[in-house]
Amino acid sequence: MRCNRQDGFYGGRFPLLFTTVAMIAGSLMLVASDSLPVRIPSFVSWTPETIAAASAGDAFRGMLLAKRCEHCHGAEGFSDRASTPNLAGMDRLTVYKQLEDFRSHKRMSQTMEPIAESLSSRDLADVVAYYARLPVFADLQDNRSFPQARPDPVHAGAALHLVSFGDGERGIPPCQSCHGPVAYRIGVPPLANQNSDYVLSQLEAFANRTRANDINVPMRTISSLLTEDERHALAEYYGSGLGLQPGSSK
Amino acid sequence: MFTVLALALIPATRYYQIDQPLLRLFRGAGAVDPLALHLEGEFVENNLGTEQGSDGSVTVRMIAQQYLFVPHCILVPAGVPVHLRITSADAVHALAFNGTDYNVKVLPGTISEAQLRFANPGEFKTVCREFCGAGHYAMRSALKVVPREQFPVLQAGERGNCAVQ
Repeated sequence: MRCNRQDGFYGGRFPLLFTTVAMIAGSLMLVASDSLPVRIPSFVSWTPETIAAASAGDAFRGMLLAKRCEHCHGAEGFSDRASTPNLAGMDRLTVYKQLEDFRSHKRMSQTMEPIAESLSSRDLADVVAYYARLPVFADLQDNRSFPQARPDPVHAGAALHLVSFGDGERGIPPCQSCHGPVAYRIGVPPLANQNSDYVLSQLEAFANRTRANDINVPMRTISSLLTEDERHALAEYYGSGLGLQPGSSK
Repeated sequence: MFTVLALALIPATRYYQIDQPLLRLFRGAGAVDPLALHLEGEFVENNLGTEQGSDGSVTVRMIAQQYLFVPHCILVPAGVPVHLRITSADAVHALAFNGTDYNVKVLPGTISEAQLRFANPGEFKTVCREFCGAGHYAMRSALKVVPREQFPVLQAGERGNCAVQ
């Protein structure tokens, strides 16, 4: 068969059938008539176009732009202060989404909102391309905020259990099934080299809804299910570098 | 002849692509964009949960995603018809209420509908019965059936659920 089944079928070969079907389906389609204001968590939607735009950055230009970020996020993507996130090796799409959310004020931060507003879409793609290329292992000579001290064994045990197995009884999925290293979902940050204070502050922000830019409410749901102690344990676990896998790319 | 052959080839070559334009058109009212659930339509986050109908029945709208049901705890009154409308944001899931016969397949791109009725108050574990990825076995939540008089009176636009806030 010589015809190209991939693209020739819908539009070209049976325009009449296509039109008829479209008309019938269109008349059946119900429009959601909700007069209430819609709460949108984030304007980012992971369409192929968004992914292409976020992945097409120029890392060299991003390096020059990222000079502005160094003061807080560190020269090598490892920040001096534990309350500021490390960006080294962070997934492109993750940082892109957060910057977009800062830009559209869907995620609140007095520091980051004005900075993100001053960047163009191309700048965002370039900066995230640069940070995605930095190595995830911190230089211990220069970066003293990460990894931090080991957590106490009780905390480490509880955190390891949550990270690897979650808690089926309460419906908490394992952290590693989205945040790595077992699997990554699109737009989800790898946490293996993240600062503990930052992880804790974000878990608390999700739990009390001061941060609400997660699409379809996953992190607000999970953070609310975690106890105060478990949030501390998880933050300590990630901040101490226990999640880092030698040889892993993230 | 060629037409018939070509039509037969569609399912054979593309059956694994669940969300394709032509199928979406055929689905009509049941079609929904899994990537834009949070932007528009009936599955935006402030519309999820239990909606009280004018005839005493309730409508429950949910999203299944890797690896959570949202809202995480559903609250329905006992003895009234429950219209369940659920869709998936990513993979194929199946929503089942342990201890009942209900099992709803959830596909991305379509709205799965089910008519439920729970005669007595109680609490049911809600589980995913279709392997959906690394965290599948922890994908559980709860369904709480309360007596009709204990079900909160919802304001217009308010949606009920019993998830931890």
